[in-house]
Amino acid sequence: MSSNTPSSSAAAAAGSAESSAARRNSKRPKYSKFTQQELPACKPILTPGWVISTFLIISVIFIPLGVIYLFASQDVVEIVDRYDTECIPPSDRANKVAYIQGAANKSCTRTLTVPKEMKQPIYVYYQLENFYQNHRRYVKSRSDSQLRSVKDENQIDACKPEDDFGGQPIVPCGLIAWSLFNDTYTLSRKNQPLAVNKKGIAWKSDKEHKFGKNVFPKNFQKGNITGGAKLNPNIPLSEQEDLIVWMRTAALPTFRKLYGKIESDLHKGDTIEVNLQNNYNTYSFSGKKKLVLSTTSWLGGKNDFLGIAYLTVGGICFVLALAFTVMYLVKPRRLGDPTYLSWNRIPGGR
Amino acid sequence: MVRSGSFHVDSSSASHRRTPSRTVTLGHIQPQAPSYRTVYCNDRESNQPVRFKGNSISTTKYNVFTFLPKGLFEQFRRIANIYFLGISCLSMTPISPVSPITNVAPLSMVLLVSLIKEAFEDWKRFQNDMSINNSTVEILQDQQWISIPWRKLQVGDIVKIKKDGFFPADILFLSSTNADGICYVETANLDGETNLKIRKALERTWDYLVPEKAYEFKGEIQCEQPNNSLYTFTGNLVAQKQTLPLSPDQLLLRGCSLRNTEYIVGAVVFTGHETKVMMNAMNAPSKRSTLEKKLDKLIITIFCVLVTMCLIGAIGCSIVTDREDKYLGLHKSDWEYRNGLMIGFFTFFTLVTLFSSIIPISLYVSIEMIKFIQSTQFINRDLNMYHAETNTPASARTSNLNEELGQVEYIFSDKTGTLTRNLMEFFKCSIGGISYGCGVTEIERGIAQRHGLKVQEEQRSTGAIREKGFNFDDPRLMRGAWRNEPNPDLCKELFRCLAICHTVLPEGDESPEKIVYQAASPDEAALVTAAKNFGFFFYRRTPTMVHVRESHVEKMGKIQDVAYEILNVLEFNSTRKRQSVVCRFPDGRLVLYCKGADNVIFERLGNGTDDIRKVTREHLEQFGSSGLRTLCLAYKDLNPETYDSWNEKFIQAKSALRDREKKLDEVAELIEKDLTLIGSTAIEDKLQEGVPTCIETLSRAGIKIWVLTGDKMETAINIAYACNLINNEMKQFVISSETDAIREAEERGDQVEIARVIKEEVKKELKKSLEEAQHSLNTVAGPKLSLVIDGKCLMYALDPSLRVMLLSLSLNCTSVVCCRVSPLQKAQVTSLVRKGAQKITLSIGDGANDVSMIQAAHVGIGISGMEGMQAVMASDFAIAQFRFLTDLLLVHGRWSYLRICKVVMYFFYKNLTFTLTQFWFTFRTGFSGQRFYDDWFQSLFNVVFTALPVIVLGLFEKDVSASLSKRYPELRASMRSRPKVPKK
Repeated sequence: MSSNTPSSSAAAAAGSAESSAARRNSKRPKYSKFTQQELPACKPILTPGWVISTFLIISVIFIPLGVIYLFASQDVVEIVDRYDTECIPPSDRANKVAYIQGAANKSCTRTLTVPKEMKQPIYVYYQLENFYQNHRRYVKSRSDSQLRSVKDENQIDACKPEDDFGGQPIVPCGLIAWSLFNDTYTLSRKNQPLAVNKKGIAWKSDKEHKFGKNVFPKNFQKGNITGGAKLNPNIPLSEQEDLIVWMRTAALPTFRKLYGKIESDLHKGDTIEVNLQNNYNTYSFSGKKKLVLSTTSWLGGKNDFLGIAYLTVGGICFVLALAFTVMYLVKPRRLGDPTYLSWNRIPGGR
Repeated sequence: MVRSGSFHVDSSSASHRRTPSRTVTLGHIQPQAPSYRTVYCNDRESNQPVRFKGNSISTTKYNVFTFLPKGLFEQFRRIANIYFLGISCLSMTPISPVSPITNVAPLSMVLLVSLIKEAFEDWKRFQNDMSINNSTVEILQDQQWISIPWRKLQVGDIVKIKKDGFFPADILFLSSTNADGICYVETANLDGETNLKIRKALERTWDYLVPEKAYEFKGEIQCEQPNNSLYTFTGNLVAQKQTLPLSPDQLLLRGCSLRNTEYIVGAVVFTGHETKVMMNAMNAPSKRSTLEKKLDKLIITIFCVLVTMCLIGAIGCSIVTDREDKYLGLHKSDWEYRNGLMIGFFTFFTLVTLFSSIIPISLYVSIEMIKFIQSTQFINRDLNMYHAETNTPASARTSNLNEELGQVEYIFSDKTGTLTRNLMEFFKCSIGGISYGCGVTEIERGIAQRHGLKVQEEQRSTGAIREKGFNFDDPRLMRGAWRNEPNPDLCKELFRCLAICHTVLPEGDESPEKIVYQAASPDEAALVTAAKNFGFFFYRRTPTMVHVRESHVEKMGKIQDVAYEILNVLEFNSTRKRQSVVCRFPDGRLVLYCKGADNVIFERLGNGTDDIRKVTREHLEQFGSSGLRTLCLAYKDLNPETYDSWNEKFIQAKSALRDREKKLDEVAELIEKDLTLIGSTAIEDKLQEGVPTCIETLSRAGIKIWVLTGDKMETAINIAYACNLINNEMKQFVISSETDAIREAEERGDQVEIARVIKEEVKKELKKSLEEAQHSLNTVAGPKLSLVIDGKCLMYALDPSLRVMLLSLSLNCTSVVCCRVSPLQKAQVTSLVRKGAQKITLSIGDGANDVSMIQAAHVGIGISGMEGMQAVMASDFAIAQFRFLTDLLLVHGRWSYLRICKVVMYFFYKNLTFTLTQFWFTFRTGFSGQRFYDDWFQSLFNVVFTALPVIVLGLFEKDVSASLSKRYPELRASMRSRPKVPKK
């Protein structure tokens, strides 16, 4: 170690030939902004101005948006009719399960009144409640490969307990297909039948890619217990749109599925008669059944949530902005006041 | 083994305490195999049958075949990985709601990354080994020297090692180019001691120096089996039908290097892993950071949350699931749905699999990666911590402890080499009441700066000489100018005293430029160097004579060689605190020169020079307050008769068999009286650059600094003043064993009694100090406190009964100085604070005697760039200068802590949100455990999709800039007080 005047940590005088040789042996780290942690960085300082204006801007944007969304949702006309109890004759209501499993005539007539003008297309849904289509055991009980291609009709491992019938594979196999919804609705207005278009209710991609054109139902609903609808064995799966809609399992226990579309306008005060076949057994798990007729807006179906959420956030931001403004005016605090530093507040810092 | 240089002027005599270096045991001594090894020198064929190990070394952890099993085993020692392995197994079973890929993919990815890191590190070790193994050494083959790589060296080979070369193996020293078959060895790599050790070859082998001669050497070495004891070696050399005993003096150890010797020839005895240094190699105990330990607790908490969640789900499921739900097809006899209990049981495990992502699998890997980059890219490459003079960058030897640096509250520092440069420079002197030397010490400069005074750059008069050990600038004394001073005779006496009264050995050419002084302590060398520069050049020592080349004595410009006969040397020891030499001038004049501590000398002065005495005392105080180490010089003319009668007594005492030291001391008292004061010298114990500022910054950051040193109390306090640790405004508690009561007890000599007395005294002192401390803490604006304690008292204060008192006293003190402490005590003090106060501790040191302290603290820091490597090898971080602690702690440590904390929070945040979504969803799926996310999304969420943002945060997050956090060290203190990691 040399005892020379401590030279600063700067490298030995650059430029001379000797120093370039020294540099080669030098372990001096190379300079880069990354290693020296000098990359540009920013840390916004939350001044009152910034905070208040940010909150204000948010409320200014969110409140009108919320209002727009609410109006859009209000525009949607929706007719909901619960019929699961009503469609059971009063004498049988004590034991609904026995009734639905019995052989009696299940037809039932409901009358709906149109509250407002409804522009076409009007969507017809059935809504089930307390039906856990998202149950783990239910969801996995299907065979996608079997649905797709006739070659794979023996791939039924996942389909238990509805996998085969007497050693022959069931197509489509699995609990989902087995429990296919089988209530039917016939609509009429002023005794004129109201056409419900049942084509084009399934996703195009499902029809084209997930359900095979040459896969036909086989051994379907032949077991002791019938789960739901039966399928016409002569129509390929890709054309069985009710099945395709049903096979797209719902995420929540309350769900709507598209039944069909009415392609004509309904007028205010119209009464619609629905003649329905109440076949589907939701009574064993006390599920509800509803029929829904609904128009759509640019925002989709009737849903107030989005509008309310926007209004709430916007409102809170506005209140906060106001509160901060008041606070700022009543008890202002100078920015960068060192007396607020923790070591200045607590003397000694022991 | 004779180890020269273990005596220091400022360290105590062996009777007082053991020299630190001896107490360091490197690993435990293994029991020796009973058998002996026989080595046939210069005869590879005869050695063939024994199959000695080769000289290639390997420090790698794995090889190609063991890498996978061993590496995986290491990985699965981590509890989180075991957990995920279990989950992966679960996910293979049908009860799993997710496909196995969800858990297997992240686990394998994590393992892969860790294994790659292991492999990379091992590869670097391998390359390091290779470069060592491939360095070349010259061995004797067919009468000539041939270079071969180290790894090809075999036991029994005759090797030649040149100056400054490293010994490739443990070598039996045969011959050297130096006279008397000696060579100098530097053992810094072994024990950190930088002074040279002498090794001596057997006289019989001195001739085997040239290849022709060495070729004839045929000998048989019978020696002990390889072992790890560095300081022992026993064996015999059987050559020419003679058996010669071998001692450690003839053994040159691998890792040492040859100094001051052109080349040596030796025979290889132990090679490769059998060398003593390799058998001593131990892995530094791996330390885990406290944050990581907290993290473990956090993970256990999270795991409990997981279990709770799963229990809720399981209970829910067994209630909700109705076997009559016909669409679930439960009617078909499924045994797992037989009853509610079964359903609950299986659902529990289903949910465990589903919610497993609540424990962040990539947490450890990400943190490790972040820390790795932090240490390799940021700490190792910080230009602020690069020391250009020694060409040493900082180096993080482990990346585990980055954030620990940000939490350090106590620093334990070694003094010599860490705070000071261990570089003594003659700085000022006072002769006959006149102070000479116009330099300004760093301490004075620091004080002036603190008082806001402008300090001008050092201006040196032209022709001022500056060399190692000499930094004196005053034209009044240089080049014979002292002849014109008021007291030329006293000047002459001072210079002579410096040139004669010492135990220094000159080495090398007898010219002022080339001579090297080998001194027991750098103080002595500095004094002799000073004499040389004043024109009294000490150039040769024989057993009875000291030769001095004196200039300008009789008249200006005249140079003459004078030989002084040394009659008696009254040696230095810690009780005497002085050293005297009786010498006879060529003209027959008899003089006693004495130098020693001021109070000792002043007690022994004769009458008559009161004014000089007073002024000198003032000067001494001035020197002391500027942080200089002072010595007083005095002389006495003797008349031959008194001398002869005294000398008889001296010889008697010297040959006494009992109590020789005591008797010698008594005899010395007889002659060391009625001295004439010459003046005093002041030596600057140079602080490392920037130490006072660094210490001030660190203490503003709320870090307390303790100095633990082997030095005597005065020196330690002096340095503490110099470093700003203690100042006059502070209240000092001094607990010293140098009190009358203790000394009295020691004189009586009963060991049990001594122990009892010291313990009582220490207890009394501690109690008193503690009361005072608490009193002054209670008063507003009471003075800051400092504690000075010496090793002997510390030994008793560390006793379990007094430990609590010591701890509470020392925690109340702003600074603590422990002097005269052994390496073991250093470690004990460190762990006292670490365990007793539950604070994060940091130890910093440079020598082998600091190793235990470095390993005992949470964070160990070694000073690198010096010769010794031992401390660095044991440390977690190595920096070149003490002052780099500012950057290491305030910038890197602070940021690392901040970043890692944020990363941990981020991790738990993202995984909780991710998993809680799943949890809420199970309520809507009848608690069946249906997954909410796609398999691939879930498996890649942690290890891919959200990996980068966290790492970026862990690397780039900054709350304030580096310069701000250095300018306001208080920021760090404020950060520590608020918990960053949520306590769940």
